[in-house]
Amino acid sequence: MTSHKSGGQSNRKKVQVSFVIRDEVEKQHRAGVNSLQYDPHMQRLYSAGRDSIIRTWNTKPSREPYIQSMEHHTDWVNDIVLCCGGKNLISASSDTTVKVWNAHKGFCMSTLRTHKDYVRALAYAKDIEQVASAGLDRAIFLWDVNTLTALTASNNTVTTSSISGSKNSIYSLAMNPGGTVIISGSTEKVLRVWDPRSCNKQMKLIGHTDNVKALVVNRDGSQCLSGSSDGNIKLWSLGQQQCVQTIRIHSEGVWALLASDNFNQVISGGRDKKIYITDLRTKRSTLLCDEEAPILKMAAHPDFTGLWVATSNSSINYWPIPKKETIMGDGVEENNVGQAASSRPEQTIKGGPAIRKYHILNDKRHILTQDTESNVAIFDVLKASKVEDLGKINFEDEIKARFKMVFVPSWFNVDLKTGMLTIHLGQDETDCFSAWVSAKDAGLTHSEVVDQKVNYGSILLRALLEHWWTSIAEEEGDCHNDGTIGGPHAKFEPSSPNRDYFKVPPHTPLIFSEVGGRTLYRLLVSDASGENEMSLLQETVPPWVADIVVEKTLPKFNKIPFYLVPYSNTAVKSIKRERLSANDFIQMHKVAEHVYEKMLGSETGSVAGAGSPADRYEDIELAGGEVEEKVELLCNDQPLDSNMDLRTVKAFIWKNNSADLVLHYRPIKGGSRP
Amino acid sequence: MEKYIKKTMGANVSQLERDIGSDQFPPNEHYFGLVNFGNTCYSNSVLQALYFCKPFREKVLEYKARNKRTKETLLSCLADLFHSIATQKKKVGSIAPKKFIARLRKEKEDFDNYMQQDAHEFLNFLINRINEIILSERPQKSRGNDGESNAIPPEPTWVHEIFQGILTSETRCLNCETMSSKDEDFFDLQVDIDQNTSITHCLRCFSSMETLCGDNKFKCDNCSSYQEAQKCMRVKKLPMILALHLKRFKYMEQYNRHIKVSHRVVFPLELRLFNTSDDAVNPDRMYNLVAVVVHCGSGPNRGHYISIVKSHDFWLLFDDDMVDKIDQSAIEDFYGLTSDIQKSSETGYILFYQSRDTADVNLNEAKVNGK
Repeated sequence: MTSHKSGGQSNRKKVQVSFVIRDEVEKQHRAGVNSLQYDPHMQRLYSAGRDSIIRTWNTKPSREPYIQSMEHHTDWVNDIVLCCGGKNLISASSDTTVKVWNAHKGFCMSTLRTHKDYVRALAYAKDIEQVASAGLDRAIFLWDVNTLTALTASNNTVTTSSISGSKNSIYSLAMNPGGTVIISGSTEKVLRVWDPRSCNKQMKLIGHTDNVKALVVNRDGSQCLSGSSDGNIKLWSLGQQQCVQTIRIHSEGVWALLASDNFNQVISGGRDKKIYITDLRTKRSTLLCDEEAPILKMAAHPDFTGLWVATSNSSINYWPIPKKETIMGDGVEENNVGQAASSRPEQTIKGGPAIRKYHILNDKRHILTQDTESNVAIFDVLKASKVEDLGKINFEDEIKARFKMVFVPSWFNVDLKTGMLTIHLGQDETDCFSAWVSAKDAGLTHSEVVDQKVNYGSILLRALLEHWWTSIAEEEGDCHNDGTIGGPHAKFEPSSPNRDYFKVPPHTPLIFSEVGGRTLYRLLVSDASGENEMSLLQETVPPWVADIVVEKTLPKFNKIPFYLVPYSNTAVKSIKRERLSANDFIQMHKVAEHVYEKMLGSETGSVAGAGSPADRYEDIELAGGEVEEKVELLCNDQPLDSNMDLRTVKAFIWKNNSADLVLHYRPIKGGSRP
Repeated sequence: MEKYIKKTMGANVSQLERDIGSDQFPPNEHYFGLVNFGNTCYSNSVLQALYFCKPFREKVLEYKARNKRTKETLLSCLADLFHSIATQKKKVGSIAPKKFIARLRKEKEDFDNYMQQDAHEFLNFLINRINEIILSERPQKSRGNDGESNAIPPEPTWVHEIFQGILTSETRCLNCETMSSKDEDFFDLQVDIDQNTSITHCLRCFSSMETLCGDNKFKCDNCSSYQEAQKCMRVKKLPMILALHLKRFKYMEQYNRHIKVSHRVVFPLELRLFNTSDDAVNPDRMYNLVAVVVHCGSGPNRGHYISIVKSHDFWLLFDDDMVDKIDQSAIEDFYGLTSDIQKSSETGYILFYQSRDTADVNLNEAKVNGK
């Protein structure tokens, strides 16, 4: 940590290492679904998940729906468009990237990193194969799809035109098939219209009173529909530059819109969980269905006979659209909104639960979680895997039941944005090297002889990057076989036994990112020894990680200062108040040994206070008898268990963060003192 | 400095009485300047302003009456000072707050020197410390085990009753559009200022919508992630005495120091808050201006503090040990400068507004006593 050998990155933002604890194949969406695309030729549905995964589904009812996952994003996928007749898919994500995919085979072809904030919306001009992306950085970029799909590793530059002028974060975007008009919706509450061919500003449409979250434009670019958080749907004439119709049917924000090709009918959904179909000529609206969660996106069958609906729940439903005559028939009421046309979806692609709550247990290794279906589970962060499903039990009770009076410093952060556990390891407020524990207690060694200590962050990083550093070591012909076990400054995590401590699941995604910012690189644990991956890792792995996993530097110990004072009732003469400092993990019997050896009238007692006593605890060998039978330690008048460690005493018994810990000692009477 | 002392020793004392007029001089009222102990004008100006916040003065004197012999605290020193002003035989004069300053320097290292201090920082420290002292002097109701009794908030003190208001911050996630709100207590409102505006305008800006975006996104519980959000702060409970701190010292990165902002900000004699929340307890409270701490000079580290206060029906200017009667119209001189060029200015810095309902109560009491 003091040396920064693998360098050249000092000017960059701090880099953290993250990984996701998940199954190898995640067949179900774990959280809300932000966007949908339907391919009528293949009868496939593409869905963009908040779990960072895009999934492909077979919509033929008789078949198993899951086809494959497209995994490369590291945060919510906010929007997708299918282009090139279904061959390619383009995705936009909160990880600030836009990705180009081979839709049929499901692999990522390239990543576009021009955006500086979440990319929220995409628009597609089908006739000219042009895609536009926009997001919270207020920028709109135009992409030529044929150029994007031709990108290779060596030819990876792409020119883009950008449209600027939006004053606020963009939440919606639309382009007509001919690519003659592009419209953005933002928290500015206005629609801004440009000509994408020249990138010239055309107009600003004022009328909404809140964010604009959904937009559709008609074929020739003369009309557009907007849905706003103000609850209104507006029909605009771009020729007249004004709103020509306002539909007030939703009780809350309108988040998704779909229009028929002729722009006669509009289907709308939003926060109120309802989907309406409205005839723009008769202005009649009909309730199509009630969903269970706010509606985020809809994709219609080309013949407008049914639609797929994505919500902030993980399931995707297919609802039939009744024939025009039946819904627009002889409805007497202006708005036939009472009874929904369908009460049950015709088909459902079932989603899975998302983890919504977590509690890190005191051992700072296990995490108790609860998901949206009230299932409680326990995870082992160190092994990057789930330990057990505990079923639908009471979360709070389970937390209490699993309480243990141990204190281990925090060394990781937890993130639930994808509905799965993402663990961040960094060097900020939470230093991932702060937790030293006994290898025996952690179940990582069977050696009964030496009380070996391991550093959680260090051994986990080495497990996560095992394929990388072992390949480097092989290349260098360096075996690092210095296997000395002993004092704290020796490398007592020798590489050969350490390598076998444990492995993390090879499918675990590993993510390098700027702290609180952009993703730099994502790969799977098992792929780290690949040629490409090796060279990318060489560039990406931050020095503080390389020092540990490649250079095998040992993280620092945490010292706790404390006072050792004879208990007031004892007859011990020395009333010296010794200020000591020791590693936070040393156990009370070590302190007792020190007291017994150095302080209770032993001949060397006078030197005990000098230097760093902790260094000596390691090699104290006490001949005959258990020291805890001779010396008792107390803190705040409470006798201390000999297996309790210093930091636990400080956290649970001393309970005072501002004053130095004070331990009292007294010899036990009748103890067999020689 | 020197010239002030000379003046006091001269004809100034009787001049004030003459200005007020002996028949007009309010009974039981004393106008005493406070001697400067070397850059202690930050304290003098705030103490004078507080002395003329009637509810506060009354509570401090009450405290003095109830606690004859307590161990010395900042509050006991303040009570002694207020008591000594209130019981002077002369109606006007000056007094040396020696014990108070000594205690202050003992209690807070930052003030233990002869440097220029920020009057708002001092006010903030003083109010909070007084509150702590009152809480610590309360009869200890079996402190509970392990200090776990902290869960229950203590009964409000009279400091709370006088100065404490509640701000509510309403945040709406722009992704899921869920509204969440959080209350927080305040002893004063710190408002940003704009050139050629009024307090009402500044308060409106204070409560205007702020978008949390970029690196400052909102962690939405519902979305389990960081999202953009719109936030606005409004007043939910209006305090009895509303202290407004005008943020006139702005940190300028290019100069690497704080610069005084002398913008002209009109503060009315009567104020009504419009930035109250929908569930506000007492949104219609009307306030009267009772005291202003004025900063004179060009920067935070050079300059002088004085205060203007309203006592009965006229206005007084306290400049350390000097006291002058001023015309109400002279208050305008402390609004600030319309031009940004001039460097030195005399500008309102902390405004004390007292709610009219409490003032009325005091007035009624005075009438009853008068009979």
